[in-house]
Amino acid sequence: MAVTDERRARLATKLNKLRAYQEIQNQMGRVVAAINFRQADKVLERFALDRPDVSLEWADEGVFSGPEAVTTIVRETVGRDPLPGEMVDLQLTTPIIEVADDLGSARAVWWSPGAGATVEESQDPEAIWLWGMFAVDFLPYGDTWKVWHLHYFRYIKCRYDKGWTDDTSLINRLNVPMHPLSKPSTYHNPYSPLSIRDGLPAAPRPYATDDGIGWMLDRDKTR
Amino acid sequence: MDEITIDDLAALSDDEFEQYEAEVDRLLAVWQVKNLRGQAAIFHDDQHLGDQRRQLTATDHPGASEMLNEPRTAVVDSLEGNALFHPLTTPVVEVDATATKARAVWWSVGVEGLSKFREHPMAIISLGMVPGTHVVEHGEWRILSGTWQRTTKNEYHAGWVHSMEPTNTRPPLTPEQDRAFMGRFAYRKDEVRAAVPEPPTRDTWKDFPDETDDGWLYVNLPS
Repeated sequence: MAVTDERRARLATKLNKLRAYQEIQNQMGRVVAAINFRQADKVLERFALDRPDVSLEWADEGVFSGPEAVTTIVRETVGRDPLPGEMVDLQLTTPIIEVADDLGSARAVWWSPGAGATVEESQDPEAIWLWGMFAVDFLPYGDTWKVWHLHYFRYIKCRYDKGWTDDTSLINRLNVPMHPLSKPSTYHNPYSPLSIRDGLPAAPRPYATDDGIGWMLDRDKTR
Repeated sequence: MDEITIDDLAALSDDEFEQYEAEVDRLLAVWQVKNLRGQAAIFHDDQHLGDQRRQLTATDHPGASEMLNEPRTAVVDSLEGNALFHPLTTPVVEVDATATKARAVWWSVGVEGLSKFREHPMAIISLGMVPGTHVVEHGEWRILSGTWQRTTKNEYHAGWVHSMEPTNTRPPLTPEQDRAFMGRFAYRKDEVRAAVPEPPTRDTWKDFPDETDDGWLYVNLPS
């Protein structure tokens, strides 16, 4: 088969996709490390804060949409002064990543085993499991990529000594007012003895150009 | 770094271009196979019977696995409290020169919930591996062979030295049947661990050119 400009263009696109694939994984690794290390500024510098539709959804805490809401919630949570003995240790596994054919966006899912330690008043820290899934849209910024929409789906949150079938006390948020900048959650189905698993977030599939955030909750398993 | 364009590739001779193109296709194949197995992990956790799902396993290849293509049958009374979360880590993926066949092994540290007859679920720690062979069929990567290989499947509090749950089937497996199935290389406190599966080597497609030959997994076993 002759080496044509069309073939060269296809190879150039493939190379650009491969570079994006690597950079996106590095960027998300940096985001998660910054969450774990309580570095709000390092999280925020990897969000597309120049986009009015940038968003962050975390478990059942609601959707934080827009630069002000994202910045506020990251500063108030990740950026809160940590207490001695506190720990968050999220990890990224099972990457499923698609870069749009037009190289204008990318979609990714990771499964995230995790552990943590919570501190209440003067008691010893309590070890907990924190497992979940990340579904993320990315946008290109020069030679790197930034988070456009991030949705963390809680899977397990329980006391380590009891385990996920015996402790459901942490899977849902406390009955306190929602954050004034939050909008209603789009999906929350953590593991519990009565829950039924859905295949969500859905795996991103090859796509030509961005057509919205709906892929994360797409229940059509045939696509 | 700027986006790669066809101008960047214009200086390549046709031979060089084809060499690079083949290598890029092999790198893309690694990515696509990881995506495929991530999608399979999602479907593994979502156990709804009868749902139409995207075909992830090869069907037309002469070596297509009957077991992988059997329809799911009920092994629990209700999906409530049942979960199978097996994240994929430690990938080793080797693609052949034509980028149409790939062998891979992942390791996994996972969690499960098991409720067979609507009883309170059992929390389970499941360590294991996912070895497999993958082929291009109908223009996309599909799983030709390879499923979960158990290391542990223990009740959470008992730990893996003192607890081993068999694969849940109906009718239940005898210990001998379980050992001949997914538990063949599972942890046992009175045995030296068998080094299976061996991750695919760089020469796996030279040493084992037939994609239906699973001998590469067992090279460490006494002959």
